[in-house]
Amino acid sequence: MAKTQEPFFVGWGKVPKDLRLFLICCAVGLVVGFAAMAYATASTQEDTGAGAFMGQTRATGVLQVEPYPILHVISSPHFEKGDTILLSGNGKRGAIDQAKDHDGKIVQIRGFRLDRGGLQGVQLRNGQRGLRPTENQETSMQIPVESLGRWKLSGEICDGKCLGGAMRPGTGLAHRACANLCLLGDVAPVFVSSGPIDGSEFLLLSNEDGQAVTQDILDYTAILVGAEGEVERHGDMLVFKISPETIKVAQ
Amino acid sequence: MIFTWYIYAGMAVAAVFLLFGLGRLDENAQGAWVFRPLLIPGVLLIWPLVIWRCVILWRGEEKLDRHRMPRRRQERVAVVFACAIPIIIFAAMFVRQDPAALPPPIQLEAAK
Repeated sequence: MAKTQEPFFVGWGKVPKDLRLFLICCAVGLVVGFAAMAYATASTQEDTGAGAFMGQTRATGVLQVEPYPILHVISSPHFEKGDTILLSGNGKRGAIDQAKDHDGKIVQIRGFRLDRGGLQGVQLRNGQRGLRPTENQETSMQIPVESLGRWKLSGEICDGKCLGGAMRPGTGLAHRACANLCLLGDVAPVFVSSGPIDGSEFLLLSNEDGQAVTQDILDYTAILVGAEGEVERHGDMLVFKISPETIKVAQ
Repeated sequence: MIFTWYIYAGMAVAAVFLLFGLGRLDENAQGAWVFRPLLIPGVLLIWPLVIWRCVILWRGEEKLDRHRMPRRRQERVAVVFACAIPIIIFAAMFVRQDPAALPPPIQLEAAK
């Protein structure tokens, strides 16, 4: 049988006398060290904000498919007439498959409401339970589109669903992989500006032609960037028609 | 069939090793019984290795010091890592981007 020359600690055996002080120091050091590390890490994080799932909802409105599906509300128990809301699907999927055949039509939607102050959204139920055109397609509601000029904006590119409250946090570097997965699933990208433009800090992104821009922005999500482009107001929502070649990482 | 007999043999080895052999090989395991049933599945699978190791240790051909690091450099590398990881974490907190430092929106052209 081998003899051990030095005291050796194992969890199930008695603690050797020579190692008691070392063990106490290790145990206290670990508890204090991890507590300090947890405090330092948590205290340097930004507030995740008040975005959250707000329960089931329904709405009727005019559907706009490009650049990403949004609904201009006509009537709803939870949204005001004229509100514009981002639509998304279940999980990390957008609503393009449900919406693509109904552009410009009056549709009825059902799902779960997402709310982060100036950004509102709905996670649709699957299939026609989530989105279907109404029988009456007559409406006097016109969707006003107004150009606000060309802007240089600084901020962060996020996915509209997580930012709206599906995730907390829905911003920041820690959320980068999640944001990219959502964007690859056709969830609408949203630019969070460092300051308000015409009263809003949240801008739906499109390319310069007003179409989806996902593939051009994947390398710049969840980090602070600057970019140029035209800003338009579509109903109640701002659309940032970003020029991808102007995107630069902020220092 | 072979596998069945292999497991039967493993059960016999496990019984002898865990009841009588372990305490003789490792003085720190003397009087400690609760953890021993946890070793049964492993012994059933690698009982030839258990016998081989027992024979070597009984003969005194090798000290029971496998807790020691096989290379001296490994100990120094562990210390370096223990120091480097907190430094990297705290340095990352200082060099990360600051949203408060972002410039405000600038209008380049008015609406046409």
